[in-house]
Amino acid sequence: MTDLTPVTALGGTVPRSEVFGALSITENAGLALASLSLRQGQLAPAPFGLVLPDVSQTVSTGGYGAFWTGRDQWMIEAEGQGDSDFAARLKAEVPEATVTEQTDGFAAFEIQSSAGAAPIEALMHKLVNIDPKALGVGRATRTGLEHMTVFLIRRADDRLAVIGMRTLAGSLWHALAVAARRLEA
Amino acid sequence: MTRLAGGLIDRSLPLNFTFDGKAYTGFQGDTLASALLANGVQLMGRSFKYHRPRGVVAAGSEEPNALVELRSGARQEPNTRATVAELFDGLAARSQNHIGPLDRDFLAVNDLLSPFFAAGFYYKTFMWPKAFWEKLYEPAIRKAAGLGSLSMLPDPDAYDKGFLHCDLLVVGGGAAGLAAALTAGRAGAEVILADEDFALGGRLLAESDLLDETEASVWIATVRAELDSLPNVRIMTRTTVFGVYDHGIYGAVERVADHLPTPGDKVRQTLWRITAKRAVLAAGATERHIPFADNDRPGVMLAGAMRAYANRWAVSPVKREADAIAIFTNGDDGHRTAMDLIAKGAKVLGVIDVRQTAPRFGDYEVFAGATVTGTKGRLGLNAIEITRNGRSEWHPVGALGVAGGWNPNVHLASHHRGRPVWNADLLSFVPGADGPKGLIPAGAAVGKGGTEEALADGMNAAITALAGIGIVAAGIALPKAANAAAEQVAFWHVPGKKRAWVDFQNDVTVKDIALAHKENMRPVEHLKRWTTLGMATDQGKTSNISALAVMAELTGKSIPETGTTIFRPPYTGVSLSVLGGGDTGTTFRPRRLTPTHHWAEAQGAEFVEVGQWMRAQYFPQAGETHWRQTVDREVLAVRSGVGLCDVTTLGKVDVQGRDAGEFLNRLYANMMGTLKVGMVRYGLMLREDGHAYDDGTCARMAQDHYVVTTTTANAGLVYRQMEFFHQCVWPELDVQLISTTDAWAQIAVAGPNARELLSRVVDDFDLSNEAFPFMACAELTICQGLRARLFRISFSGELAYEIAVPARYGQALIERLMQKGADLGVTPYGTEALGVLRIEKGHAAGSELNGQTTAQMLGLGRMVSPKKDSIGAVMSRREGLAADRRRLVGLKPLDAGTQIMAGSHLFTAGAAQTMETDQGWVTSSCYSPHLQSYIALGFLEAGDARMGEVLVAANPLEGQEMKVEVVSPHFVDPEGGRLRD
Amino acid sequence: MLIPHPLLGLRDSQEFTYLGDAALMQRPDPAADGAEAAFCDYVFLRDNPAGVHRELWFHEQGDRSWLVVTRDTTTHEILGAELASNLKLGAAQ
Repeated sequence: MTDLTPVTALGGTVPRSEVFGALSITENAGLALASLSLRQGQLAPAPFGLVLPDVSQTVSTGGYGAFWTGRDQWMIEAEGQGDSDFAARLKAEVPEATVTEQTDGFAAFEIQSSAGAAPIEALMHKLVNIDPKALGVGRATRTGLEHMTVFLIRRADDRLAVIGMRTLAGSLWHALAVAARRLEA
Repeated sequence: MTRLAGGLIDRSLPLNFTFDGKAYTGFQGDTLASALLANGVQLMGRSFKYHRPRGVVAAGSEEPNALVELRSGARQEPNTRATVAELFDGLAARSQNHIGPLDRDFLAVNDLLSPFFAAGFYYKTFMWPKAFWEKLYEPAIRKAAGLGSLSMLPDPDAYDKGFLHCDLLVVGGGAAGLAAALTAGRAGAEVILADEDFALGGRLLAESDLLDETEASVWIATVRAELDSLPNVRIMTRTTVFGVYDHGIYGAVERVADHLPTPGDKVRQTLWRITAKRAVLAAGATERHIPFADNDRPGVMLAGAMRAYANRWAVSPVKREADAIAIFTNGDDGHRTAMDLIAKGAKVLGVIDVRQTAPRFGDYEVFAGATVTGTKGRLGLNAIEITRNGRSEWHPVGALGVAGGWNPNVHLASHHRGRPVWNADLLSFVPGADGPKGLIPAGAAVGKGGTEEALADGMNAAITALAGIGIVAAGIALPKAANAAAEQVAFWHVPGKKRAWVDFQNDVTVKDIALAHKENMRPVEHLKRWTTLGMATDQGKTSNISALAVMAELTGKSIPETGTTIFRPPYTGVSLSVLGGGDTGTTFRPRRLTPTHHWAEAQGAEFVEVGQWMRAQYFPQAGETHWRQTVDREVLAVRSGVGLCDVTTLGKVDVQGRDAGEFLNRLYANMMGTLKVGMVRYGLMLREDGHAYDDGTCARMAQDHYVVTTTTANAGLVYRQMEFFHQCVWPELDVQLISTTDAWAQIAVAGPNARELLSRVVDDFDLSNEAFPFMACAELTICQGLRARLFRISFSGELAYEIAVPARYGQALIERLMQKGADLGVTPYGTEALGVLRIEKGHAAGSELNGQTTAQMLGLGRMVSPKKDSIGAVMSRREGLAADRRRLVGLKPLDAGTQIMAGSHLFTAGAAQTMETDQGWVTSSCYSPHLQSYIALGFLEAGDARMGEVLVAANPLEGQEMKVEVVSPHFVDPEGGRLRD
Repeated sequence: MLIPHPLLGLRDSQEFTYLGDAALMQRPDPAADGAEAAFCDYVFLRDNPAGVHRELWFHEQGDRSWLVVTRDTTTHEILGAELASNLKLGAAQ
């Protein structure tokens, strides 16, 4: 184990978390990400037992998840493995496919509502031009948010993950926090 | 006080406010206009051009006259229509556009000079002498014009934006809108109902019509309660849908906190972008007036507005209760006002009806076949002249309601160049069939303004709209209602010698239109420009059609032949603050922070914005008083010891696949397919037109795996271009692309001590020149097991490496390198030093790769491989490009202490400095602490053959000229020994 | 505007960047006779019709696909959208 100490995308030693009324936003520093692309003519594999999902879908099982990011391309997630060489583990699962390490390419923010779907949808109304009704549980999409590109993953009715570029983590947190705070007012 | 009985105000909630410093009281539910009228205040402002005393004309957002300034300090808001300003306790309003008190405006002298201010006076008067325009005319005009004033202070409030989606957007919450929303809501459709007013009901609030034999407000409340209970319906009051955009996108502004003294925690306004599958335009109609002599006095207003003030706000528009009110009309609608006023107990003189066979609906006098031909009253109406059969007589009145017919609010329906069509029965334009797709106008907006027909039309519009998207909506039980009598005749203005105002806001009279006609400004577009008719905040809502009718009369053509006015967004004014929206200052736009940003901040670094990035520019130390001292120190540290620079910002793209090498061969001018695994190659990318585009490196990590870098500035563009060629041109190649720019923190370690420093952090890795030569790359571990990538590449010309680790370790790595390198002179350096180092080494950067340069010019002509095709290869061999003799050279001033200005042009010493004798130009310039001289790079005609020649670098803009010597662009280590050792 | 993405449905055009004439997909054969003239045409000359136009849009803030969108430039009506790679591969067969 290296003797260097990592920092989170927001630059802290511990992930940031804040509550805004019914919404809480938490930096998910433990989420490991690696992209998986099929080589030409390759059939979709099933890494970690995941059935790679169709367009705009996301699946998860046993601490692993996958969401569609483009044709023949997915992002594979592993909860709590952010500090490991997850891309190498994925590559071992799918040696024929193209795998690229993406964990530190992104900053993940998990938004949890304590009052059902409504606060999540209200937050989406302020931030993204995506109809919340079209981003139900099990769906994922990529879109623009305050001039940044983000993945939105509807993990549950009351849970939404917003995954944006790591170097923009501060700006993304600012956008999410300001919108959440205004919903409180 | 002229309050009447009833109304929709809450008399238990009195609100104190001031107007021009004088204290008044109104009630919850009042607008500023209704509260002022209730206090007997008729005079609310001065007109734009002639500074004529003006009062309120309308009761809604179409108001042309009653523009006031609200609030004070940074929240001062000019040109607010008093008719839509909701009253709140403590509101401070001021009249505007006058010098001195409102009732004794010194600029009223303009009115006496009105013969000089006729239509087109700007264009005629201020033409000559030309020099006077900027110095005299424009400042004077600007000072006198512009209505309200700005505070010139930053807006302290927050503005927001948002996105909504629905099946059906209903624009307007009157009879038609409510029926449409209820029909769609019950059908389960996702519905948004938006109304600019703070209360739903639209015109129903202003009329005395009964629904199911009770007051309309009862039905409105019932419908509102049901709509509120439906989870699929969103009601948005105080929300103006101001524009229709492509494919069912609507712009709307919600005034979240305009009705509050200050917004507190709320935003002031929200800009909504509504994506609606279908929309019903139930925007109602706007009443027009009838121009007659001196028709602009305070107290003269639209008859429908008078009804609204009486019924909704329980206000009589007269100054004193004893004053009589008269109505001037060309149809039945004016009689409704008389009836409602009488029912409310106001004193009515009678109805002046232009029709010889005017009806009578109640107990009031009718002046049939009569017109109003004059008014009196300096600051407010006190008498009107009624003319019948050539005989005139004066009658004292305190107010006059004018009813000229109703114009459907076709605005949104004409936003996609939809042309309204003339309806001769209705004497108005109605929306045409070529309006925005998916937008169905209904109710008064199509001329169906009777309550019964508006309700039914709204319901039917919703059913039709939803059927278009596969939602079956059933009809709903509508309340019993009636359509008021609405006969009218075409009567557009009262001819006469005196001025008769058509457009109150811009002081355009019938005479001005006649003048425009005489001067051949006849098409409506010319009429508008020449007279300013229909401009400014109200955009001619109450005047356009009347003006058109006057012009038609003058030309002898019909109204539709004369023209049609169509409208652009916005329907009503939208503040720039809400359009700008969001954040100001450092959070104005997203900022990308490098992995070592917080560390650099702690070191006291100065930062520079590079695109979205914040990059450390230099790292000042104690005692350094000028940035040059800092940069010189950093540069020398790299040349003599070792420096560290965060280069994460360079674009990084992961290229994998069986055909990755072939793909890169086609993308880069030089060969990449032959690159050995574990090696890096400099790559030059051309544009398809043959010019140099971007440069970077390709590192081959495995047979089917490359990592390529791009310049910071072009990272996004190059990635886009790669995807373009991958998907659109060569999709048959097996290639997978993904950006990894953010994933890796990449730090340049440069200088003679670079190897020694790195050897202190790598885990069992042979860094010797034999094992890891110049242009080698490897995956390895550092600091006891952290995976990393190492590239031996150099931008500075020194022995140098770039080391990449997962971004989360970037800060720890630079801290470790600083700690381990203390005895090696390790020094962090920023973009300034980076720039100096690369100029000293003669490396091209953005100033050289500016889109106008070729590989040959850069001295890289041989990189364009003749053995293969690549982007831009064919075009780079074009005659004009291939024959270009300009070459990258170094330049040294003969006087080492004089800076060469970048952008200077190069001339042969002694030659005339013209376009024809131009020999080239200076691209980059800096002070080289290594050479203790200013140096520069530039492109020079046949430059590679002119070493040692002395030229003139001229900067004619600044009158500068200096002598420079042509030298090799490689000021430092031209043989390249340092980076290979 | 809304772009009817063939995989993702209607998407806000702000997610896309625009390139222009889809003729850019027909890169000339660099080895053919007159390649330079063909490239000059390809690089510098574009049709700019008032009416139906086939044009390239990149779903940059989306799935990173290039689309060929058929749009009436006079009304902004969009008549169809296809994945550029499908079109190109289909044409090659």
